[in-house]
Amino acid sequence: MTEPTEDRARFRRTLARVMTVQVVTLLLLWLLQSRYSS
Amino acid sequence: MHPLNWAIVIAYLLYVMIDGVRRARHTSDLEGYFLASRSLPWWAVGLSVMATQLSAVTMIGTTGQGATDGMRFIQFYFGLPLAMVLLGVTLVPFLHRAKVYTAYEYLERRFDAKTRSLTALLFLLSRGMSCGTIIAAPGVVFSAVFGWPLGWSVALMGIPTVIYTVLGGVQAVTWADVKQMVLIVVAMSAMVVVLLVRIPIAPGDALEVAGAAGRLRAFDFSFNLTNTYTFWSGIIGGTFLMLSYFGTDQSQVQRYLTARSVDEARSSLLMSAYWKIPLQALILLVGILVFVFYQYTAPPLLFNPAHEKQVRDARPAAYQALEGRYAAALAARRSAADRLVESPDAPARAAVTAREAEVTAVRAEALDLAQEVTGQPSRDVNYVIPRFVLDHLPLGLAGLFIAGVMAAAMSSIAAELNSLATSTVIDFYRRWVRPEGTDAHFLTVSKFATMGWGLFACVVATYAATLGSLIEVVNRFGSFFYGSILGVFLLAMIPSAGAAGAFVGLIAGMAAVAAVNFGAPEVSFLWHNVIGAVVVVVVGTAISAVGGRRKAGVGG
Repeated sequence: MTEPTEDRARFRRTLARVMTVQVVTLLLLWLLQSRYSS
Repeated sequence: MHPLNWAIVIAYLLYVMIDGVRRARHTSDLEGYFLASRSLPWWAVGLSVMATQLSAVTMIGTTGQGATDGMRFIQFYFGLPLAMVLLGVTLVPFLHRAKVYTAYEYLERRFDAKTRSLTALLFLLSRGMSCGTIIAAPGVVFSAVFGWPLGWSVALMGIPTVIYTVLGGVQAVTWADVKQMVLIVVAMSAMVVVLLVRIPIAPGDALEVAGAAGRLRAFDFSFNLTNTYTFWSGIIGGTFLMLSYFGTDQSQVQRYLTARSVDEARSSLLMSAYWKIPLQALILLVGILVFVFYQYTAPPLLFNPAHEKQVRDARPAAYQALEGRYAAALAARRSAADRLVESPDAPARAAVTAREAEVTAVRAEALDLAQEVTGQPSRDVNYVIPRFVLDHLPLGLAGLFIAGVMAAAMSSIAAELNSLATSTVIDFYRRWVRPEGTDAHFLTVSKFATMGWGLFACVVATYAATLGSLIEVVNRFGSFFYGSILGVFLLAMIPSAGAAGAFVGLIAGMAAVAAVNFGAPEVSFLWHNVIGAVVVVVVGTAISAVGGRRKAGVGG
């Protein structure tokens, strides 16, 4: 079993990575909408 | 359909079945049959998780929604990445380390047997019904497109799936999912390439036309409880739905219980967190490109060929008049699109929007006429893509797409049959009927249970055909109980929560969802999950606190 502090650190890293991908995807969709939608 | 396309479909069906039977050699005990002896690599489990969630409804209904409604549907998945991360640090380690077969088994250890049995029963009821809907969705479409009886379509997908799931267990299900997921992505990507080649304008201009017709609107920031597809519904309601589905639904929990370790189980869920939204965008993009394609090639007035024939036979004059107006509206829309490509300015965009509204209005009249003649809701959106595939895709690719739709249906059905059998045997048969049975006995019973659920799903599929929208029916079945079951698992993480609180909370949560569903039916089903989970946690905590004080009082 891993230490709680190690688990927390890994969770923070994972959360940051997943959220970065999510934000980039949403940003691309937003750009697509604002560039092409009337 | 051309014989080569049929050859591809039949080859795929045979391959999946033979490979599934081959996997039967690795399933000689109950843990191997239901959990692959907890030995599978994260990437196979991750693909299986995605394949289970991606059903034929997604391949047919969501692409059709992309064509008629645009990118808006993607908001439904905005809560998924956060839900996956939260599950990775909460329920996944809990369940994996508990060495349970089902998520509900854990609830008996934490609370009591009746909470376990009730949640397992709710799972069996909702998933048993939705399994039929999942086969019915493509079955109905294939029947209308190919002119078969519905029973044939159901049998074509149902029989091979039941065979490989019964014989091979979770091993066969997972490895078939891996291949099916690859086939789905290849079919979808090939569709995008073919569409880009077939559309007679540059990709940038295609986006310009789609955008002017409102197909690239991915965000709606209005806060409206009655609208399923808004940013807030997706972020809040979607997070709760995904937490419930991936965290407490045995059809998903069983996927990651087969992983080698807690870390591999977490990684398998994170695959969805990374890829689900881009994959969904790809699927909607296929629909949007089909919409652009039909700017330059006249689409049928009704995409459902069976309804088209019935309306043409019953009301020929009315249908012909609508076709005339439709052709004129399409020509005007085409001219507006041409002008927009020449000079993409605001007036040209407004012209496309106005001409698109005219086309939509004529089609709405045709759909009303179809409903009047056939006495059934038209659900024409589900026929847009199959009709395009059969009329316009090059030789071989139509077969690949149809095989992809079957793969999507079969991967979801197989996972559900496997999990329904697991819960039936572990949560009911082994718990209440014959706790002292041998492993070999339970293995035999499990195979019969899988077969029984397969038969039940096929029968339900034959009758589910007339139920509402293919996409929403599947989600509605689950959302009635999902939030409340999630609430019980959340309660399990609160140390002071007791068994009485969990059981009463669960009943209260379902009662609250039922009250909202019948009292305010306009509230979107995505919010039912939030309501159910919150009510269970609040009521469960309160009851536990009262019970705790009484005990303390008695003891003191």
